[in-house]
This record gives sequence, C-alpha cells and structure tokens, in this order.
Amino acid sequence: MGYGSKSIGKYQFVRTIGEGTFAKVKLALDISKNQYVAVKIIDKCMVLEGNLKVQVQREIKTMRLLNHPNIVRIHEVIGTKTKIYIVMDYVSGGQLSDKLSYVKRLKESEARKLFQQLIDAVDYCHNRGVYHRDLKPENLLLDSKGNLKVSDFGLSALQKRGEMVSTACGSPCYMAPELLTNRGYDGAAADIWSCGVILFEMLSGSLPFNDCNIINLYEKIYKADYAFPAWFTEAQKNIIWRILNPNAKTRVTAQEIMEDAWFQVHYVPAPIYECEGEDAYDVPAAFELVEEMEADKQIPNPSSFINAFKLIAMSQDLDLSGLFEEKDEVKVKVMLVSDHTIHDTMTKIQAAAEDANLLAERSNNKMKMHPSGKLPRRSQPYFNLSAEVIEVAPLQCVIEISKSAGEVAMYKEFCKSLSSLL
Amino acid sequence: MSSFFTCLCVKAGYKKKGSDDPSVLASQTYFSVNEVEALYDLFKKLSSSIIDDGLIHKEEFQLALFRNSSKQNLFVDRVFDLFDFKHNGVIEFGEFVRSLSVFHPRAPASDKITFLFRLYDLRQTGYIEREELKDMVLALLSESDLLLSDDMIESIIDKTMMEVDTKGDGMIDLEEWKEFVAKNPSLIKPVTLPDLEDITLAFPSFVMDSNVQD
Repeated sequence: MGYGSKSIGKYQFVRTIGEGTFAKVKLALDISKNQYVAVKIIDKCMVLEGNLKVQVQREIKTMRLLNHPNIVRIHEVIGTKTKIYIVMDYVSGGQLSDKLSYVKRLKESEARKLFQQLIDAVDYCHNRGVYHRDLKPENLLLDSKGNLKVSDFGLSALQKRGEMVSTACGSPCYMAPELLTNRGYDGAAADIWSCGVILFEMLSGSLPFNDCNIINLYEKIYKADYAFPAWFTEAQKNIIWRILNPNAKTRVTAQEIMEDAWFQVHYVPAPIYECEGEDAYDVPAAFELVEEMEADKQIPNPSSFINAFKLIAMSQDLDLSGLFEEKDEVKVKVMLVSDHTIHDTMTKIQAAAEDANLLAERSNNKMKMHPSGKLPRRSQPYFNLSAEVIEVAPLQCVIEISKSAGEVAMYKEFCKSLSSLL
Repeated sequence: MSSFFTCLCVKAGYKKKGSDDPSVLASQTYFSVNEVEALYDLFKKLSSSIIDDGLIHKEEFQLALFRNSSKQNLFVDRVFDLFDFKHNGVIEFGEFVRSLSVFHPRAPASDKITFLFRLYDLRQTGYIEREELKDMVLALLSESDLLLSDDMIESIIDKTMMEVDTKGDGMIDLEEWKEFVAKNPSLIKPVTLPDLEDITLAFPSFVMDSNVQD
C-alpha cells in the first residue's frame, strides 16, 4: 500500500491534492457517508526522527476539541505500521494562496469578510490556549461558498520543519519578529502578526515584507519596515499598523481587532457551537420530536409523577463518560431540588441568572444561559450553562444544571444564587 | 491460574494472538482495529490506577467514575457485573472492548435496549420486578438531594408499573420493556457514549505503535 495505495479503512483515495516535505494530502471518499474528506498522510519515521511523537499526540487531542465553522474539522486518525492518516473535512475551494495568485488582490468587502472569519477562528483557538504558529494563505482554505476555513490548527509540529528551511522566501514572510529571534514568545501575538500580513496581502496583492535575501527580509520584519500602496484607505492603514507592531507586548489582540471600526463593518460573529457536544450528541432529532410529543400528551395526564425509568436514565449514576475524562477535567453537572411548580421554578432560574449577570433563553422547561455584558459576544470568556427542570412529583422538581467548559466562578455564583431562591 | 495467565499476557502487550487480538476484537464489535488500539490506551490507564496488573478491578472502576475508589453505587455495581461476563471479579481487555461496543454511537438500539434490561434486572430472573424497581429508585434517591415521602415513591413506582407492565402481571418482561423504550427513546441515552465516536483522537498514542498492515 503506502502512498500509492487505493484506500484505507472506509476511505477511498481519489487523488493527491497537496504535497509537503512532511506529509501528503489526498482527496478521499468516505464510502460509509458518500462524502469527500481530505486525508493527511504522514510518514511515521519522519515523526520519530524529529522526536515529535509526544507533540503529535498532544496536538491530535487538541484538534479534537476545536469545533468552529471557520476551522477545518478533524474526523479521526488512523495508524498503520508506517503511516499516520489524519482524516479531515475536505474544503473544495482550494487555498487562499491560489486565489491570490490569479486575482492579485481582493475587493475590500471580500478581504474584510475573510479577515473577520480568520480573526473569529483565531480568537476561538486562543481562548482555548491553542496557537497556530504558521498562519499563511496556504493554510487558509476556501469552501464552495467562499468562506474561509483555517487548516492545521494545532498541528504546528507537523508544519514547521522542512518547509521553513526549504522555502526561504515563503513562510518567514508571515512570521512575527519575535519568532525570528528564537526567544520565548507569545503564541497569540505571533498569530495576530501573521493575520496582519495576510490582510495586507489580500488588500494589496503583495507581501508587506519580501526580500530574497533572508538577512534583508529579517531586517525588514524586525523594524516593521513596509509601505502601504497608494489605494489603501486610512481605516485599512490604521488596523494594519496596529497589528504589524514589532513589539509583541503592545500589539493589538484579537479582541481589540474585533472592536476596530473597519473590522466591525458587516461583521457577523460565527455561531458558537455547544462545547462538549452536549447538544450535538443529544438524542437524534427524530427522537427529540417523539419526546416532545410525548411531553405534550402528558400535560392533561392527571398524575404528574415521573416514570421511574426516566428518573434513572436522567441520573448521573449510569453515566460512564467519567471513564474517558482526565482527572482534572471533571464535567460539572449538578442536580438541585425545588418544591415549587415547574413554572415557579423556571422563574427562579431566570432570577438567579440575572443575579449572576447571565442572559437566559427559555425553551420549554430548559433554560440556556450565556454571559451578558458590553463586550462583543465572541470575546467573552467561553461559557455556557443550561438548566432543565423535570417534574418528579407534584411540587417536586429536579433542576439539572450542566456547564460546558468555561469559567467556574460564574457557574458557582449562579448555583449559589439559585439555591438561595429555592 | 487462568486469570494469572491473562494478566501476564495483557501486560506483555496486546499484540498477542488470541481472543484479545485487536483484529479479532474489531471483527466482533463496532470498533475498528485502530479504535481497539486506542481503547487499549484507555484500558492501560484504568487498569493501572490502583494495581498495575492489566485488569480493571471494581475499585479502579469506581475511582474512574467517582474519583473515589470506595464509593459504592448500585448502578455501577450492575454495570461492572455486566462488563465482567466471566464473573471473575475483574474486567479484562476483551471484556472491556466487547462491553463498550454496546455503548458505541453506531451500535443498534436493540442491543442498547437489551443491555439496559439486563442491567435493571438486578436479580437476573429475566424480569424487572416491582421490588427491583423500588430498589433502584431508593438507590437513586439516596444519591440525590431529592426528598420524597414514602407515599410519593410508591406513587412513582405504581405509575411506572402501570405504564410499562402492560400485561399487568406485576413484572416487566423484555417484550414490554422494548415497547416502552420504543415510545420513550431517550431512556437508552445512557447506553451511548459520544466519547467513543472520536476515541482515536482522544487516545492517539496508538498511531505510533499500531500493528495494522500498510
């Protein structure tokens, strides 16, 4: 088999769509879903030679947690004696670098949309402590609708080596000055710098820093020595100038970019996915429908006692997901008891949410809560909370509170506030 | 003696031939060979948390679920017994993979329904009796802050038996159970572990030692 093989598992290879020193990317058909995927094929000996074993494993685990519309999603990894296959979304529109090579520069509206999606994705990852470290148009893919998807987030170990050395005039052009000195650096600030270079390139059609002599190139990057083309507007210059700041400490952050007036034009934040798949993995939609109808039928039912099996299925006693969790990432799920009616209990949850400065959204007997505040939504600390009320007996309700990854403090505040109201 | 041998074999790695070979396990379960290899990583972690002998003891199972090795729970006891189908008090790798297969999101609902029935049939008589149902409700309540009067508990159990025991013989058989779950599919939700869907991403170290042929 090897590189020339026709398939691996349920994936049938179609053709090679990318080749690097470290890996090869192939288009493949997932025959179980009749859906195209991209498969990155890595030679195991390369990983072992580079002593990247631990890092590769850590990065695969990290990628699993990234679930954002502007980030290429990883489906699974497959290992054989000599190769590692990373199965990902296939993004059909190709690389941004290809597009830039034939259209030269983009219209402001398109460049802004792609930049907004890029910053959205970058901010999402930075909030989770994940840094790309090699953002460049080759890693930015476009889907069939022209939306941006960042590839290889969290895969920096598999990126850097080889490519940097081989294309002296390529990759370093996007690198932040602090990366060139090889001292410790802040991954977030370095990614932001690369975003600035990419924005410059989209708007101008050429790189801000470019020189085939590597020494001269580094020199220019250090000093942030670049010139704006004549057609750049003041607003464009302003945002780029704030990003291409050689001092990483005073460089703008993703959150500050999101507050920029130029950035804000027609900005639609990407929908936040429920973390932990709480909802995504819920009972399939068809099941939910049945359940809701069931619930409707139950309203006229004179006995408002819960079915014991429902109570058992709801409880945490049967939950085996703890087997998969690391010791420190205990999922928080709490049950509170209320001796009020469902309606009164929901009102109390709403009040507790307000006390804890949370925005509450009610659907039937479930309340979803997000942080409220004046900051743009995306730059909020990541946080999601939900409370569901289930009637167990007349005037005996159980409130199931679950929290996805995020700040514990706000969650505790809410629980405390709710307990005092009950 | 036989468990002593199993222990040695599992410890020596699972590349051995036999019933615990990843390709054999993959052919008998809803897992791929790579997924079985990833599960071995999880198994190693769980089976070495207290005694590093390549077997999951009940205390290790409790430790993983409750972060506490001595916390007992009726439901966890039942799950452990069902996983330990050789009934020798420990879960071996083969038992672990074959049991978890029912929890795979791709496993058919019928397997999950039967698994749950066996779990609730505490005394393994082939029926879920009223008494067993009450034991489970009491066990559940003792773990929660829910304070229900005896009357309320009786009402819940009466209502449940009325809804599920359609033949009215005072106990629930597998057929009645299947009918009830068909109407209330969320009941089998605990028998699906979404984590199994991307187990290769959660425990990727197998990619380095995988024995799958190219």
